[in-house]
Amino acid sequence: MAKDHEPNEDPTDLELIARWRAGDERAATTLVERHAPALARFAVSLGQRSDVEEVVQDTFVRAFGSIDTFRADSALRTWLFTIERRLILDRRRAGRRRRDDTSLEEGDAATEFDALDGIVAEEAEGRVRLAVERLSRLQREVFLLRVNEGMSYKEIAEVVGSTEGAARVHYHNALRAVKESLYV
Amino acid sequence: MFDCANVEMRELLPELVAGSLDASARARVDAHVIACSECASELETLRLVRGAFAAPAVDTRGIVAALPKPLTGPAAITSVAPMKRWVDWRLAAALTMITVGGLSVAIVQRRGTDATGVPIDSVAVAPAIPSGGRAVDSAGAVAGGGTRSDTGSEPAARRSMRPASPRAQLSFNGGVGELDDASIQALLGALDEIDRAPVAPSTEPDRSSVLPVIKDVDR
Repeated sequence: MAKDHEPNEDPTDLELIARWRAGDERAATTLVERHAPALARFAVSLGQRSDVEEVVQDTFVRAFGSIDTFRADSALRTWLFTIERRLILDRRRAGRRRRDDTSLEEGDAATEFDALDGIVAEEAEGRVRLAVERLSRLQREVFLLRVNEGMSYKEIAEVVGSTEGAARVHYHNALRAVKESLYV
Repeated sequence: MFDCANVEMRELLPELVAGSLDASARARVDAHVIACSECASELETLRLVRGAFAAPAVDTRGIVAALPKPLTGPAAITSVAPMKRWVDWRLAAALTMITVGGLSVAIVQRRGTDATGVPIDSVAVAPAIPSGGRAVDSAGAVAGGGTRSDTGSEPAARRSMRPASPRAQLSFNGGVGELDDASIQALLGALDEIDRAPVAPSTEPDRSSVLPVIKDVDR
């Protein structure tokens, strides 16, 4: 169902990677322009408010630095998301250690956006954000990867380190919770 | 708040919102949504979510400038070549050691069986073999009473340098030329038995019943 690249369309990610390896730096530009917006959106959905561009850049630098480890059996985008997610979690853990802040553990319900509640809750967009941000972190990741990026459950499971079935359950539970938050 | 019973269509709604459906699938979902109020409502919710988490602008040129350069041409090749040369060198060294070691053993064995009496000056029975008829078995015990250390027939410094393992019964410090042919044959036979003996202690047979005993050797 998802879009596939056809011969007359833009070059595939794998073709661009091969070109970059052969020395074509324009291929890297195309890859960055293709995936950077999604990575930036994913970073925001993971709660990254500042340094989004830095996170996206670090993701690409790390990915291109270890491009030999990329296996074509998964999409490049999925691989990039996996790298970015790990980066963000590492940065968050490091920041938490620095602040000696133990308020949010991985897997806990999201509370990191509470400070913004009063500011944005009155607007429609704000209510949606609030509804999503009240999900558990894993639910939120799965839900936004599905809605924002159109990823399959299999791809999502790869990114968040879960199973396809668990990703499906997380998505539907998240959707129900968001609906209830908005309309009930 | 009800959900549509058409699971297939519901599952395609997020992909429609994300724009990842091909044209034919998009047309089918659009047609379904027009006729299904539940899916239309759900689609609106999903669009709100996507709009609320819009991608912030990023400077792609800055990102590209920070990327590592691809390894191409000679640089990519030379990064692999040193390792290959290192492996080749180690392999050659190992083969040389094996060859030299094998040749040495062959030469020693051939000399030891030479009936012409050519002196062997590279292999010797450990100097612990005492005079006076006491025998030394392969485990290092001195038959006929006492241990090697109580013989008192050699300097203490020399005794302290001697290894304690059974294989240490042989040393390369000369003196074999003083042995007669029968003793040399017995010595080489003992060497062969030691080489054939299993290494693991649990399976090691009693050497006293396997290895020959050298008796009455005068140094």
